[in-house]
Amino acid sequence: MILLDYKDRRPIYEQVTEKFKTLILSGVLKEGDSMPSVRSLATSLSVNPNTIQRAYAKLEQDDFIYTVSGKGSFVSCIDTLMTEQKRDWFHRLDELVKEGSILHISPEEIYEHIKQADHSS
Amino acid sequence: MIEIKNVTKNFDDFKAVNNITLHIREKETFGLVGTNGAGKSTLLRMIADIYKPEQGEIIIDGENIYDNPTMKSNFFFISDEQYYPKNANAKYLIQFYCSYYPGFNKKRCLSLLENFDLNPSKKIDGFSKGMKKQLFMILGICAGTKYLLCDETFDGLDPVIRQTVKSLIANDMMERGLTSVISSHNLRELEDICDCIGLLHKGGVLLSDELNSLKLNLHKVQFILKDNLTAEESASGIPDGVSVVYKEHHGRLITMTLEGNEATIHSWFQSMDIVFYEMIPLTLEEIFISKTREVGYNVKEIIF
Repeated sequence: MILLDYKDRRPIYEQVTEKFKTLILSGVLKEGDSMPSVRSLATSLSVNPNTIQRAYAKLEQDDFIYTVSGKGSFVSCIDTLMTEQKRDWFHRLDELVKEGSILHISPEEIYEHIKQADHSS
Repeated sequence: MIEIKNVTKNFDDFKAVNNITLHIREKETFGLVGTNGAGKSTLLRMIADIYKPEQGEIIIDGENIYDNPTMKSNFFFISDEQYYPKNANAKYLIQFYCSYYPGFNKKRCLSLLENFDLNPSKKIDGFSKGMKKQLFMILGICAGTKYLLCDETFDGLDPVIRQTVKSLIANDMMERGLTSVISSHNLRELEDICDCIGLLHKGGVLLSDELNSLKLNLHKVQFILKDNLTAEESASGIPDGVSVVYKEHHGRLITMTLEGNEATIHSWFQSMDIVFYEMIPLTLEEIFISKTREVGYNVKEIIF
């Protein structure tokens, strides 16, 4: 379900957490979908189950998934998360625009670039 | 839980293990890494009660391991070189281990042997080095013991088998709370499977910590100084809790290995008057190298 990048220097649990966040935010995993069991994910990725457990705990803490005891983990409703993530994204964009102004990149240039990127995608 | 308390072992005048204290928690995988001759195998053999510590003691689940046959059925030791009776085949070994380990799962063992394409009726002498390692790894997993001690077990296995073995260990950790201690030089593989890492050097422990906190606490930073400033002028006032492990100059480019909190280091560099900086976490291999280098200059301290 997810792929690990063995050249990535971050701890594996961070990678697992991030990959699932992307899957959930992009809608590949929908609200109520069940998450793979810790054991099946650990054996398929050949990693320590405690690592997966830790990643799931982080996902739960960040409200991406919830656990039903005896049944496993499920994807949460992400409406509020989406709003937060969008806010974060715009915050990052603000930073980029600020950086751009140092390089004398005007807002017009940025719109133009976005329009072109939109066309080609 | 395996508690190693102030354990020392000498071979004549060579201090193989020198006053080591380590704790290995249950249901976790502990990776034992170290320089050649650091005492990894000796330590494992003492945990397995093959060698007797000269000083100190090894306590497993509250009981001293030395000369304690009932405790011995709680762990399986896979040694670097395999020992088996001449002319023995896998079937014979299964029978042999069944009599020692009450929890030995014969059925699982035979099906695993089939999956790994190892003929249980063939003489082990005819197996290749890697096949012997596979066989003993399977026997170890199937022995159903609470603890599994592996001495350089990954080294010498092909990549496909290594992945499979890691999955087997992961499965048994989940299924029955297996605790394993793995010594290896293959640091990349250990990163996948270990919770904790112990780094040995010249019979002593350089560090023993959770892998995650190790990785999150050591960082490599590269930065470029502004033309008119020296390193001392730009990099003054190291914040509390951050220490420099290693530093290297190449003109205006400086590479440092730093120990400390990621956020603290970031804010420190952001406050500096420099052209550019980049920060990356260390791989286990780099942690190994930087930590052993750190002590390379005062080896005496470790020996005496």
